[in-house]
Amino acid sequence: MAVFNRFETAIDAGIGRRRLGYLLLGLVLLFFLWFPNDASQSNYAKTVFISGFFYAIMASSWALLAGIAGQFSFGHMAFMGIGAYVAGLIARDGFIIAGLGIQITPESISAIGAIIVGTVVAGLVGLVIGWLLLRLRAAYLALFTIAFAELFRIAMLTEYDYTGGSNGLSLRPLIEVAEVDTARQIEYYLMFALLIVCLLLMYRVVNSPIGMFLRAMREDEDAASALGVNVVRYKILVFVFTSMIVGLAGAIFYSDVGSERIIPEQLEVLQMSLIIAYAVIGGMESLIGAAAGAFISRYMLEAMREVVITLPFGLTMADGSDAFTWETGAWRFALFGLVMVFTLRYMRNGLLYPIINWFSGRDLVMKKTVSKRHDWDDDPAQLEGRDE
Amino acid sequence: MKRRRMFMNCVALLAIFALLPIGMAQADGHCEFADYTITLGNLAPLSAPGAVAGGIAMDWAAKQAAADINADCGIQIDGVNHQVAVVTGDSEGSPERGQAVAERLILEDEVDAMLGVYHSAVGLATMGIMEANQIPTVFSEPWNDNVSANGIREFDGAPPRFEDGIDHIFRISPASSMVGSVVVDWLLSLGVDDVVLIVENTDYGQPAAADEKARFEAAGATVSQIDVELGTEDFVPILSRIQARAEAPDVIRIIVTGETSFNLTQQMSELGVAPSADTICVTNQFAFQSEQYWATVPDGNYCAFNRVGIIPSLFSDAAVALNAKYEMEFGDIVPSFAMATYDAVYIIADAMERAGSYTDAAAIVGAIEATDLDLSQGRYYFRFGGHNPDLPEGTPEFMWHQWPDPIVTVMQYFEPGQSGLDAAVIYPEVYQTHGTSYIVPGTSP
Amino acid sequence: MVIEDTLFILWLMVAGPLWATVGLFVMPGVNQDQPKEDQISKTTLQIAGVIGGFALGPIGVALLYFEPAMIRRTTMMVGVIVTVFATSQVLVRVVDPNLPSALWLILAGPLWAAIAAYILPRHYRELEADDQNVLTAAALGGFAIGPLIIGLMWKSTPKINRDWMITLGSLGAWQIYTLFAIQNPDNPCVLAPFSLTYLTQQTANGVVIGSIYSLMAVGLTLIYSVQGIVSFAHGQLYMVGGYFSFYFLLHGGNVLSDLTGTEVSINPIWGIPVAAVIVFVMGALFERTFLKPMHEGLIERAAEYAILITFGFGFVIEYTTLAVAGPFPQRTDRFIEIRRFTLQRTTITEDFAFGPINIIGDRAFAMVVGIVLIFALLYFLQRTWTGRALRATSQDRQAAAVTGINPTNMNTLSFALGSMLAAMSGAALIPIFAWVPWVGAEMVGRSYVIVVLGGLGSVPGALFGGIIVGIVEALGAGCHPDPSRGAAYKEAFALVIFALVLLLKPTGLFGREHN
Repeated sequence: MAVFNRFETAIDAGIGRRRLGYLLLGLVLLFFLWFPNDASQSNYAKTVFISGFFYAIMASSWALLAGIAGQFSFGHMAFMGIGAYVAGLIARDGFIIAGLGIQITPESISAIGAIIVGTVVAGLVGLVIGWLLLRLRAAYLALFTIAFAELFRIAMLTEYDYTGGSNGLSLRPLIEVAEVDTARQIEYYLMFALLIVCLLLMYRVVNSPIGMFLRAMREDEDAASALGVNVVRYKILVFVFTSMIVGLAGAIFYSDVGSERIIPEQLEVLQMSLIIAYAVIGGMESLIGAAAGAFISRYMLEAMREVVITLPFGLTMADGSDAFTWETGAWRFALFGLVMVFTLRYMRNGLLYPIINWFSGRDLVMKKTVSKRHDWDDDPAQLEGRDE
Repeated sequence: MKRRRMFMNCVALLAIFALLPIGMAQADGHCEFADYTITLGNLAPLSAPGAVAGGIAMDWAAKQAAADINADCGIQIDGVNHQVAVVTGDSEGSPERGQAVAERLILEDEVDAMLGVYHSAVGLATMGIMEANQIPTVFSEPWNDNVSANGIREFDGAPPRFEDGIDHIFRISPASSMVGSVVVDWLLSLGVDDVVLIVENTDYGQPAAADEKARFEAAGATVSQIDVELGTEDFVPILSRIQARAEAPDVIRIIVTGETSFNLTQQMSELGVAPSADTICVTNQFAFQSEQYWATVPDGNYCAFNRVGIIPSLFSDAAVALNAKYEMEFGDIVPSFAMATYDAVYIIADAMERAGSYTDAAAIVGAIEATDLDLSQGRYYFRFGGHNPDLPEGTPEFMWHQWPDPIVTVMQYFEPGQSGLDAAVIYPEVYQTHGTSYIVPGTSP
Repeated sequence: MVIEDTLFILWLMVAGPLWATVGLFVMPGVNQDQPKEDQISKTTLQIAGVIGGFALGPIGVALLYFEPAMIRRTTMMVGVIVTVFATSQVLVRVVDPNLPSALWLILAGPLWAAIAAYILPRHYRELEADDQNVLTAAALGGFAIGPLIIGLMWKSTPKINRDWMITLGSLGAWQIYTLFAIQNPDNPCVLAPFSLTYLTQQTANGVVIGSIYSLMAVGLTLIYSVQGIVSFAHGQLYMVGGYFSFYFLLHGGNVLSDLTGTEVSINPIWGIPVAAVIVFVMGALFERTFLKPMHEGLIERAAEYAILITFGFGFVIEYTTLAVAGPFPQRTDRFIEIRRFTLQRTTITEDFAFGPINIIGDRAFAMVVGIVLIFALLYFLQRTWTGRALRATSQDRQAAAVTGINPTNMNTLSFALGSMLAAMSGAALIPIFAWVPWVGAEMVGRSYVIVVLGGLGSVPGALFGGIIVGIVEALGAGCHPDPSRGAAYKEAFALVIFALVLLLKPTGLFGREHN
């Protein structure tokens, strides 16, 4: 502790925690930018990062929806699915709106066009769902969104003539890559850029007056409404906004960037609960916390597949080896769930919160009532500057 | 102070996660082994939403095969013995995950060949990766017709891959169409003309049903198909609907897997829909694992089922030995996909020995094409491949690099609690054990 | 086992009137503890008693006796069922099967429902008319009679009473039935006279399975009524209850066999109390550790916390069970050695016969177990001190605390009891369904539907909700024009009801007016 004390004082006297924080964040960004250029890294590592970025988008946008705006939705994966499925169906079948004379053939639409359509449709469905949900709060909202997500999944599974059922639906590939060895680099940067753009967009919203209204709404809807916040408008807005973000992320990720096809099983409640767990572990009220939570949790789940604990003090097992292997593969989700439960109970703002908080330099006591804005949220300009 | 302690806790926790190391297999024994261990990658679903039970059996089978080969001094290449190790990657039954894991196995674990795959969707998604990295692959369980042919991707439009010269994918499980034909031929030979298909809406169920339906209709039978979602527990309303028909159907064919099929079969016999005097009950290959079948379908006597893989009366010594080991481990009869995975390891090992290399993909593929090997499921060979590239007119494309002889039979229980090993083989006639092609409920052959 | 015709007729002749008589004399007793203004007229009670006793025997009488509020609702439902059946029988003979479905689109459908639901409540509020139930009526009416409903309600803004709802509900059901009839004339639901048997069979299927669903939903609603939270771990507690029963029977049977030296197998009914006790303790411990701080005000945004923490609890249980028990399906022995009860075919006139009706034996047994347990719970809640304390806490925590009830203990008790009920339904169903660690997912979804339909917090609501959901699933799968879609969307039918109830009437059929 004494060491830490001295370290803390030195930091405060020197560079300052806040600047150190930005420095570290910058280093992390640089690391991500440099990573695919490391020749020793295989495509697999990049694949893992690509899906890490994707889940980071999912978790952080869910954090915006549930943690900041208080709209506890289980339908997040379904909106992602809408984006991906619509993009895939449009690119395969095209569409015709007879009355308006709109006719789009599969040949005339590019991958990007399909993705845009998918995103817009996800946003429209978000609009409708957000409007329907106006009357519902907390548990009712959670239940309704579960029902919505399940209905969507069952429909995708059952109407296999159109959606491919559980064989999945291939989207039009976004990037045509000829050479195998250079592959994944473009995908990597694309997904990374998408994550950064989504995060910046979300920070923009969170730090605008809208973000304030959303928080006020979360704390007490009636009070917020009495103070003149247009609750209806902001509720719908946050639904449309997050639906479009995940719709876009889904449509891009499944356009052969992260995965070659989308299957209905991806929309199961289990997958949604993993997203929630990522956000909870990383911190539901911090976008970057949730994004990092997704990264860390996924790594943790991978690492826990088989754990070897080396025995100390020269102890050996009966067969002479000094490693004690614990088949954690089967137990990893149970352990992960435990981590989530204890995080919720004892570190409500996520495991990363104290770290983020320390760097923020604000002399915060770990109050139980924390629904304050974090420092990262304060200064988007700095964050943006760092990115450039 | 509290704040700081929290900080330290977090750092410690993160550090622990970061430091979780990965273990390595080790071996000992009576053989002299070279330093290099040949690694084989096994793709199997070990967690949800995949079919976990299947994945566990495949994982076990592949590792058992490696252990058996090592006990027999491994793979001999240029007079040197190499150990074999199997690394199982958890596909979770999802193509996205399967792709990532396949890349990990190939690029990080640097496997020399791949095998396994349970879900067809995973097979379809990973084929491209194995091709691109030139990894010889023997699929042991995906059934989709497209898996060993040119791998259909809606936007690909590429010509069939085998025109490029080398194609790394082999399959020793049957294609859906090969399975369907046997059951349909059997039922048609019994004079069936009114069929109800109950089908799971998955990548396994739908193609299989479409195929069987087409065959039945070609023969002039009426077919009604009912789709169900996996995980449905209560089938009584659906079965009541069948029961309410003016005339009972001649046969109810269940193309559903896992616990869902057990629930369905049990409720069907409890309600007296089938098997009955009017209606034949045909369930799926999972019924062969009799411990599990009778535990969950206590009323399932006289149900027929299709058996994919070798039948008990033809079990070779290898099959009997494998079955005994499986029974020790899981307390049930060995399923076909465990047998196939076990055999796949042997096929690869044999091909590497004949090719005299574990790195030269072209040589290994050539050797696999020339396989002629008796293993637990029978004699393995590949009719069409680089050695015989011309598919005759009318031969489906999936026959390329496809083991043409997976034994597909129809079997039937005739005593409650009967072991799958004692069940009667009723079709095709060459394999018949009890001299009859259908045991009428209530009788004994 | 086969019930002979004569036996059945005897039963109808003796049992029905017998219980009706009992109902006639018992029901007026409802009034005795009630203040004057809550009393129901004696004649109404007697009529209800006779009908309840005749139709459902002792169950009907007891139900109405403990929950007199149900009398009104029962009338309503009977009305709907009779109307639908009668009109449909006429319709089938009148409607041309080749009628284009365009007619349907113009006349009615969800579009008009949405328009009416959007316009009418606003119109009522503008005119400051009583807008209670207007939303529901508008949506129902829009669906059933299309633009007509707007005309009907726009001009005179009538107060929407029970009669309106019954009429519109019947019309809506009639509409769906017609649609089914038009789309598939071979639909067994509309092929009179045969459809009578078929509809009875499907309704019976629904009632049997629905009563079992209810038991689980009752636990959920109990937790909600006292604590105001929805337990998202309910499905996993249900699942783990089945596994506790399974392992108890497996090992208990082995131990007994070793002790006695003969093969002993325990009837699975004994697994139910064992699972109940274990899960009761589990639930209590969880509540004390994780939910108590919430009620002590130590946790911000309690509603969100409650969802997440119970969800996490379920997650842990499910994957722990998967690690311990493995993914292989399990099942215990059956309760009774009777495969099915069959009501034989009875020929009434030359071309009109009724039957056969089949009910699976074990399910019938589980239904009885479920109903007995629900009534035991109702008795506990209504007639014992602790039960009344629970109800008091659910109505007004402060007031209850003043009278010497410890709300903290009541919280723990409610969660433990609710979890226990889930586990008991699990233990009651493991002889019926193949059991795997993810078996709770489908079931819990259905429980949510049930409690929302019945009204979160209402025990009789959960009972009726369960039966309604059972019937809707059975009729949906049985009557959907395309048998294949009917089967694949079986689960979806309940979800559609669920979404509609949430949107139109979040308090459900029996719920208290709160949010």
